[in-house]
Formats: sequence, C-alpha cells, structure tokens
Amino acid sequence: MPLYETLSTEKLIVVLDIGTAFTKFGFTSEFAPRYIIRSEVRCKKTNSLRRICDYNSPEDLYDLLVEFIHTIYFKYALTSPKDRPIVIVESLLCPTLFRETLAKVLFLQYEVSSILVLPSHLVALASLAIDTALVIDVGYKEAVTIPICYGLPIVQAWQALPLGGEYIHYNLKNLLSNCNTGIQNLSETVLEDIKIRCCFVTKSSRAKQLNLAKSEIVPPPDVKYPYAGAETLLVAGKIREKVFEIMYEEDNDHLCLSTMILDAILKVDIDLRQKLAENLVLIGGTVMTLGFKARLKEELQKQLLNERYQILNIKEFRFHSPPCKENYAAWLGGAIYGATDFLSMKAVSKDFYLREKHLPDWINLKDVTNMKLPDYTTRVL
Amino acid sequence: MSYITGPDVVKYACTCGLLKPIPQLYFCKHCLQIRCRFCVCHEVDSIFCGKCSENIPSAEARVKKNRCANCFICPSCQQELSTRIASKGPANPDDAKSPIKKTYYLSCYFCRWSSRDVGIPDQPSATGGWPERENVHINRLQEVLDTYKQIMHSEKQQKESDKRKQRGKFVSYTDKTGVTASALRKRIGLPDIPHAMLKKPKPPEPAVAKAEVDELPESIFTEPIKLMEVTTIEQRLMQPECQPLTVDKLFPVHKQLSIKQSLRCRTCEHNVSKPEYNPNSVKFKIQLLAYCYIPEVRFVTVEPLRAGQTVELIIKFTNPTQYQTTITILDLDLDEQAQYVEEQKLIDLTQNLEQALSLQEKQPMSLPSLPYSSGSQPSSLLSLPRLPSVIVKPRKIFTETNCDVAIPESSFILPPRDDAAEYDDSSEVHNFEDDPKLIKWRKSNKAFVKLAVTPRADLKLGDEVVCGFTMQHIYTNVLPPAVENKQPQKYDHKVRVFLTLGKVVGSE
Repeated sequence: MPLYETLSTEKLIVVLDIGTAFTKFGFTSEFAPRYIIRSEVRCKKTNSLRRICDYNSPEDLYDLLVEFIHTIYFKYALTSPKDRPIVIVESLLCPTLFRETLAKVLFLQYEVSSILVLPSHLVALASLAIDTALVIDVGYKEAVTIPICYGLPIVQAWQALPLGGEYIHYNLKNLLSNCNTGIQNLSETVLEDIKIRCCFVTKSSRAKQLNLAKSEIVPPPDVKYPYAGAETLLVAGKIREKVFEIMYEEDNDHLCLSTMILDAILKVDIDLRQKLAENLVLIGGTVMTLGFKARLKEELQKQLLNERYQILNIKEFRFHSPPCKENYAAWLGGAIYGATDFLSMKAVSKDFYLREKHLPDWINLKDVTNMKLPDYTTRVL
Repeated sequence: MSYITGPDVVKYACTCGLLKPIPQLYFCKHCLQIRCRFCVCHEVDSIFCGKCSENIPSAEARVKKNRCANCFICPSCQQELSTRIASKGPANPDDAKSPIKKTYYLSCYFCRWSSRDVGIPDQPSATGGWPERENVHINRLQEVLDTYKQIMHSEKQQKESDKRKQRGKFVSYTDKTGVTASALRKRIGLPDIPHAMLKKPKPPEPAVAKAEVDELPESIFTEPIKLMEVTTIEQRLMQPECQPLTVDKLFPVHKQLSIKQSLRCRTCEHNVSKPEYNPNSVKFKIQLLAYCYIPEVRFVTVEPLRAGQTVELIIKFTNPTQYQTTITILDLDLDEQAQYVEEQKLIDLTQNLEQALSLQEKQPMSLPSLPYSSGSQPSSLLSLPRLPSVIVKPRKIFTETNCDVAIPESSFILPPRDDAAEYDDSSEVHNFEDDPKLIKWRKSNKAFVKLAVTPRADLKLGDEVVCGFTMQHIYTNVLPPAVENKQPQKYDHKVRVFLTLGKVVGSE
C-alpha cells in the first residue's frame, strides 16, 4: 500500500448490491453507483459467461463469487479488499447459502476487516428520510413486498411472487416466436433489449380490450427489430403492449402484483394500513418501465373494489419518487448507511466471524435470542 | 505472452488443489510451493490510464473517481473517443493575417458518434473543459446524509457516555445532594439548556408521497418508435446517475483507469509477482512463474488408446533452470493430497481453538461488548495493523484418472538450460547413463520419455482418457545467497501432473 494512502484519513469503502441480473457497485457517501454491471463471470473452462445465480453446488458458487469479487475490486474499485470494511445490501429473503458463501469469500479469500449487511427494503427508505412505507422491489427474479413500519421491517407480512424481468422475458420470447416463424431461441440479451427499447406497460382501459377477440383499440405501431445481422424481427404493436400484462393476470390462487401489495397491507396492524398505503416506494429495475407506476395505481384501485379488500378501507394510494433511479435505490441507501458511524457500530468483524463461523441472520434463532450480536434489522432513524 | 498455451492437455496440481496449465502457475521460492491465482493475495500496485499510459497516484485517482481526466470513451459504443480539430474561419474575415481559430470536439472512429450530435459546444482547448453532468438530487441527498451522520454520531457518543457512567466509581457531587445540574441552573437563574450530547439533531425533512404518478404518454400508442434513438441498457448503465432514455442525452464518459497487480504468497508474505511501475513496461521486478522453475512436461504422441490395452506414451521434459536436475516419476498418490487437505483443516481448527481460548482469557480486560470490540473503536477499525493472511484452504483434487501409468524404475537427469546450445551445431555428447527403456531421445535440456500407459478396461468408446503421475525433481535454491556453504541448497520437489491423452477408439 503506498504511503500517502495510509496518511489520508478516510478509506474508500465499497458498497455492493448483488442482484440476480445486475450488480450495483460504488463507494460510501457517494450518491450514485460507479458501475452497474451484469452479475456474471466468464467461466475459465468453457469460456462462456455464467450468471452467479446459476450455480450448481456450494463450491461452484464459491468459485463464481471469488471470480466476481475479484473483478469488482481489481477492475472497477481499484483497491485491495484486504483489511477494509465492505457494505453489502441484500434482500431479507436472500438464501442462506448465498450469504454464507459470500461472507466466506469476503472474509477468507479477500480478508475484509468487517462486513455490514443491510436489508435492501429498509435501506431504500434512507434517501427519502421516511421510516414507514411499503417497499415493493420488482427485480429480475421476483417481486418482493415488505412493509417497513417505524424503521422496522415487518418480515411476517412479506409477500413475494415470481413476477420479474425473467418472467417478462419468458413471456416475450413466447409471444415473439408465435409471431415470427422460424425464430425459436432468442437469447436473454436480445429479449432484454427488445423489452427495454420497445415495450411498455399499457393502461388499464386498453388492457381489458387486449384480450377480447374483437377489440376496438388500434394497436401501437409495429417495430422492426434488426436481429442476427441480416434478419429482422417483427415486434408487433400488440406484443409491445401485452408483454407486461402477466404482472396483473391473477393466477390460480388469485394472486398478482396488485393483490400481493394489498395482502401485505392486510397483514400488518390495522392502525398502520392507511399510512402504508399512502407511502408506497417502488424499487428495482423492472419498475422503471414506461407506464409501470400509473398502471399499478390503477390496478390497486381496481382491486380495492374486490370483496377481499373491502375491510382495508383505503381511499387513496400515494407513491414516493426517490431522489435517484429506482434500480439503484437500495444501493443508495447502503451508501448512506455506510457513510455514518453505523458501519463501525454494527458491522460483523472478522474476529467475530472466525469465532462464530457464520453471519448473523434474522432467521437464525441463535442470533435472535442472543442480543449481544449485531442487530440485523436496526435502523438509523 | 508468446508462450504456446494451446489446449490444456497437461495440467499441474497447485498446492491449493486446483489443476492448471503451467503458464498459469507461480512458484514461491520461499516456501517452495506452487501457487496459483486462486491462492495468492492480490494487491493493487499502480494505477494508470490505458489510453494515455499515464501513471496516476492512488490519491489522485480517488479524487477523480478512478477515471482519467483527459481520456473519454464513447457513450454509444464504449470505444475510445478521439479529439478532433475543427477550424473556424479567421476571427476577422477582412484581416487576412488574423489567426485561424481552432476548436475541438470529440468523435468516435468506430460508430461515428461525436460530441456535436448531442449539442455539446466545441471547446477552445484540446484537453478539457468538457461539460460534466451533475446529479440533480445532490443537495437533498447531502442534507439527508449529513443529518444521518449527526444522528449516528450522537447515538454513539450517548452509548459511550453510558458506558462511562456505569464504570464510574465516583459519585458526582450533584448526585449526592440530590440537586441535578438543571435544577442548579434554574436556581441561579441561568436558562436551562440540555447537554450538548443529549441534544437530538433535527431529523431531515421527510419526503412527501404524491398521489399523482407519471402517466404513460399518449403518443406511444400512435407514433412509431425509432429504434436508433432509444438507448440500449448498456448505454443507460454506462451513466448510472442519469440513465438517459434517448441517444440525444448521451454524454462522453471518462475512461476507467486500469491497475497493475502484484501478487503475494499468503504463507510467507513474499511477492510472487511484482510489475514495474512504468505503465509502458511489460516487464516485472519479481516474476516467480512456475515455468521458469519447474520442469515442463509436454505431450508428444500416444498410440491409439484402447480400453485395457497397454500403449506407449511419449512425453517431453524440459528443464528451464540453470541447474541440473534429476527427475523421478512416482505414483500419483491422491490419498496423500487428501491427507494434506485434512491436516490443513486440522491446523485451522486448532488455531481457531487457541484463538478462542486466548480471546476468552482476555475477555475480562476488554470492553464489555466483545462482539464489536473492534467496532466500538472505529479508528482502530480503520487503521488495523497488517494482519497475517488467512491461508486459502486447500481442496481435494477432483479429477478422476482412468488410466494406469507403469512407473519406471529408474530416474533420469536433465542438463541445465543453455541458451547458446541451439546455435551449437556440434553433435552433443551426453555422459548420462540413460535407461534405454525410459529415454527415447534427448537434446540439450530436453528429454523424450517413454511411458507405458493402460486405459482401464471398463472405459467406453469416446471416453476421455486421463492419466496422472507425480513428478519429483530437484530444485536448486539460489535465493539465500549461500555465504557459509558455497553450495546452493537442493530440494526434492514433487508436483502432480495430469495428462489428458484423448479419447478411447474402437478395437481393431
């Protein structure tokens, strides 16, 4: 380590939000991530890109994470991870295997001095300076709703459905291969690009017409999408409009994105329901789609008329607009938390990890009963 | 590297249990062990810009957010942008002598994007003054962050003062008399101000939720979209702050800096690779690559492989060092490696136990909240002394060998490398007593060795045949300058080598 680096007072502390599709990376006390990169690494054996979430075994995940953290530190952060703290933003529903392996990689392979693990739903509120809200995270793999009341995540009221980017891609793929003959295996990147550039969430009034055999609406113009050099994919106007409809199609259990949110509200105390409905916070990359918020509002209002939700007695839904892009809202919260003394007070130190051999978790009874351990769900406010 | 890597037919087992071809391995001279990328400690050595090849001190790189101040990349295709000159007419058209005014703009040679496309005005100087985009929410976020910092700070001080109170042996005078400080203040007529530490900082103004949301523009249903004007996800994520939706909002992006890495052995803390400081130089100050120290095995030829039949395999051994070495081929003993892995685990366990014991002994002396003993003192957290590395736990070698190697009885000698030997036409005379069954041919520091291998009888057609053996060679250590005994020290070093021979072919 060069001499002048040790003299400077503050060290750069990495904040990492490893998502299924994209990883947000930056430093504490900055207000935007330095990079948003795909969560994938190049496999040495097959020389193909592999996503981190596609691991086959714990050892495989360990190797993938070693490679991925290496790229983060030595390609983007340009610092040594050794003897520095790191802030990890993760979902409260993150698989235990993943967080344990990540802790193992960071402590044993990269020798970080401490890890501060922050629940993404909670910290997303930091930039808004509020302490009660219903946080809806629509990411790649799933949509997860957790109410936060007075700075505490109400974990028992969580709701999750596999409605995310992945499902949209799957739907888009089916719709496209139906309308373009001979095109079967569209890659994930092409699908994502079509989704990002052509598709949008339509209005509720038009959505009803979409499923009718004889609709009165004029579909939006078609898009000719250049594909594989010489070919052209026809992205019909109807597809552009229809792709996101699966978010509001009720499944066999009558569940969809809007019911999920209302169910979460139903599960919390009666006095908090009104307040939660007036503080909706949307985070995650999928919510950035054109028209997403407007449609969600319409759908929520529509579901309120349903008998199930009559008892809610909610008049109005209000949405927060965070001072950042939604896809890195949780990361920004992590960067704010990490910049305060919270880091030194609550982080899991290397000594602690080497002694206990695990990362404290809210689900682990051993950690919950032992109050001496760093409190996993504490808040700033 | 002009080294012929080819397909990884011959793999060496690293001490940590991974199999890698020899160019990817390092050899630590101090602990005499093979190391690889996975089991060394990586460090950032120097930071430089890949385009202008300028070294940038790490403090400066930090201020500039790890980006080069002068070089830009194209926001459209991520290639490097070039600065181009546009000359405007002379400032005064009537005066022929007035100098021609030059202006500069950025242009991409690959996708023809230019800074003029997005309406960035041409700059009068070549190096700089390109407009930067600011985060619009920065004031609000800074305000929020500052208040949070204050809140946490006061909370922390509160905690510490609580601790101090608990430990305090002396009862304060006011506590004894029952007169509190604030009562005392009132009595003497001073305004009652709470203690600075107890004063709660004002929480930031909470954000207000709105019932109105951005509606979907009506035009989307009628107007065709121009694909070329909508940005792709890569283009958006290049600029995470603003994530522009259309191409006319793309701004040139500063080029990301690169680093030179130095690698350190975790066991002995010595460098195994350290590059030169100059970014233009491809040389190294320290470069302990395995192929400079460990005899290289290359696959030459093998007879068609048939299940259960013994065939002849010819491999080439090359001695890369300046010292003569003796090579002995031994049985591949994977159990021994597994035992080593277990041993390391055991050492790890006992160390932890000792550590835990010593911590328990120390406990009464340290602060009550041991779990964050380092956390309660952030200054010590940030300036921890250099701790010895945790050694990466070795793993078992997983590769299945399905071919038996007949272990030769004798060993053979490899002469030292002589760079001049290639130009020496005079026929070489070796005085080595070679076993003709083993050595087929030899030239300078190379020897071609015959081995009899038998693929297992239960192999099916098309199965990959993998064989392995342990190569023991004599490594001559020159590192500690042998002052007392002039002879450099010699060590027996063992490496496990795995060869992928090919696929089983059908019977004749």
